[in-house]
Amino acid sequence: MNRRGGSASTNLGPTNPYPADPTLVETLERLLTATCTHEAIQEAEAVGWAPKIWESLAATGAPWVGVAESAGGSGGTWADALAVLQECGAHAVPLPVAETGLLGGWLLGSAGIALPDGPVTVVPGSGGDSLSLAGDRLSGLAANVPWAQASERIVALVDGHVVSVAPAAAASVETRRNLAGEPREVVTFDGATVEHAPAPAGVDADALRLRGAIARSALIAGALRRATDLTTGYASDRRQFGKPVATFQAVAGQLVRLASEAQLVQMALLTTVAALSRAGGPETDAASQAAFEVAAFKATAGEGATVVSARSHQVHGAIGMTQEYELHQLTRRLWSWREEFGSTSYWREQVGRRAVATGPDHLWELVNQGSAASA
Amino acid sequence: MAGATFEYTELTDAERELRDDVRDFLATELPIGGGHRPGLGMSAEFDPAFSKKMAARGYLGMALPTSYGGHSRGAVDRFIVVEELLRAGAPVGAHWVADRQTGPTVLNFGTEEQKQRFLPAIAAGEMYFSIGMSEPDAGSDLASVRTTAVRGQDGWIVNGTKIWTSGAHQNHYFIVLCRTSPDDGDRHNGLSQFMIKLDTPGIAINPIAFLDGTHHFNEVVMTDVFVPDEDVLGEIGRGWQQVNSELAFERAGPDRYLSTWQVFKWFVGTLAEGSDAEAAAMRATGRIAARYWALRQLSFAVARAIDAGQAPALEAAIVKDLGTTFEQEVTEAILEVIEHEPSLDSATLGEQLLAQAILTGPSFTLRGGTTEILRTIAAKGLRR
Repeated sequence: MNRRGGSASTNLGPTNPYPADPTLVETLERLLTATCTHEAIQEAEAVGWAPKIWESLAATGAPWVGVAESAGGSGGTWADALAVLQECGAHAVPLPVAETGLLGGWLLGSAGIALPDGPVTVVPGSGGDSLSLAGDRLSGLAANVPWAQASERIVALVDGHVVSVAPAAAASVETRRNLAGEPREVVTFDGATVEHAPAPAGVDADALRLRGAIARSALIAGALRRATDLTTGYASDRRQFGKPVATFQAVAGQLVRLASEAQLVQMALLTTVAALSRAGGPETDAASQAAFEVAAFKATAGEGATVVSARSHQVHGAIGMTQEYELHQLTRRLWSWREEFGSTSYWREQVGRRAVATGPDHLWELVNQGSAASA
Repeated sequence: MAGATFEYTELTDAERELRDDVRDFLATELPIGGGHRPGLGMSAEFDPAFSKKMAARGYLGMALPTSYGGHSRGAVDRFIVVEELLRAGAPVGAHWVADRQTGPTVLNFGTEEQKQRFLPAIAAGEMYFSIGMSEPDAGSDLASVRTTAVRGQDGWIVNGTKIWTSGAHQNHYFIVLCRTSPDDGDRHNGLSQFMIKLDTPGIAINPIAFLDGTHHFNEVVMTDVFVPDEDVLGEIGRGWQQVNSELAFERAGPDRYLSTWQVFKWFVGTLAEGSDAEAAAMRATGRIAARYWALRQLSFAVARAIDAGQAPALEAAIVKDLGTTFEQEVTEAILEVIEHEPSLDSATLGEQLLAQAILTGPSFTLRGGTTEILRTIAAKGLRR
């Protein structure tokens, strides 16, 4: 039934003007289904790295999607970059994909430092870090560095400079893990020789945090999609009292709540991609211009992670609590990602401050048009 | 993802113009400081004069064809108008059901004569409708209605009682779901819909006070009410199918997430005035603002899908569930971070609205299909 009349001659509305490259998504989906298996993820957790998955991903150029080709990246739009991360989230990829491209690749590229061939990690800049630069020498401590030992380069923002250093140059690396068993390491430097260049305007800790929030939220969106599919599938197959548990009203309610929440996060992603794309490409300061959307995206994704994890486990019952079943590969990552690059509370507060600064008379425009409202 | 699909969409230039036009209209008709008391979403004031002004501006019957007095626009255009009106707390009560539900239903199932008789009056903001579905023993389980319609001369004789009939004391017609033939084993068969004039002899409208003392609900008792053949809606025996399409229709509109917008707006105003708002208040504000931002885009996507000729029933159920649950959470989240003792007699409008939101909030997840029923329907779409 098409009730639409005369005003259908439009170019923006009816379809998403900022779609991801479908070939990229399909290729990744196929590749990760084949390589990033439950066994492979379990093994990566045991040894702290997944060389085969990395090699196959790197061969496609996926980790560098969103980094300009001129800077040594794979090019691509915000939609492409976030689609890559969504796929990685959906497959629980145990690798620093966002760190290599959207975060580290961006830092290196913006400072004119060549990208290495291998994986890159970034110092997220948590409280308690004490890095300082004296000439070409780096000293101090950096916490929560993902896969520091396994990466070819550790990239950090220090004293207004983008710094690139090999992990072997560190005085010590203390292995710590996040809730998903992924390395989040404490790295100490004591006068290590580093490559560095001044960070241009707009490349700073705030911008890195925004981009980190985008990356983690995209991973979350992907993992929520997969957890939803897994849970609805399980509830449809699992029979108790002679019928699928999904047909019980109480269970049905759980399924709808978690699926709805996953959809809300997915829409937050798409809306954020649109705002970012309007502001500029992934190599620009678009994240700072779309700060409202980014904050709202991470706040929404964080809540989604909480709701979907809890309800997915509730529906699965005991099987979901075992290592042999794949749900935990998603939920343990969700519980980590929701805290990284700013917790749900942190980003809610950012959105709240923006809303209060906007004031009641223009509040509607803010939630309606986002960062475009004040542009 | 399992089942549902929501596409991102944006306003076209023409749609932005419409939005700005509505904002201009509201700035003129309901100027800030002009004495307009905003309402809470769709339960806002009953104001026929305002409805007629909206109609004159072309904001009613937007999706109805021009040949029936409508504007041959679409679901998105209606979404834009409704969103702007509801967030302003505009007095949409009179035309609300007629515009949202009755118009599309008559267009879909009505006879040519009915379309000509009702649709121009709906689009003119002159004819108002109530919904005659629920009965004392038929709430969520509509197939169990007991109101009967039996064949008379040139029409039908209706007997029975409808309940929770909002606005029956103010509106012109109500659309009544009746049993027209006995249960033949499939209880969804044998139901039919009638458009019954509320001043027909044999109808008694008894008010049922809402918990806050206001008058929305009624019990409508029908004793040998004669309904002429020309007021049968759609096909005799197909009432169940018709009602279900009607319910799916406009489930996902902005009325499902904007009921407490005015309360939120007031709350943000109180924070903006203070210099040292607590982090907890900022976080509550941020959570609410972020969800409005994402939710409205879901609702917008449903409107766009309807205009593209799709039937997004699962998506609509998801939006209604998320939206109405959220509307309630807004009130409670605000209460957690402020020190107020809400009262309808409070000195400020904001506090009065807060009190009203607390008192009427439970209805958000009941009206238009309870959350539990919606989730049962939606889960069928999610299962494989």
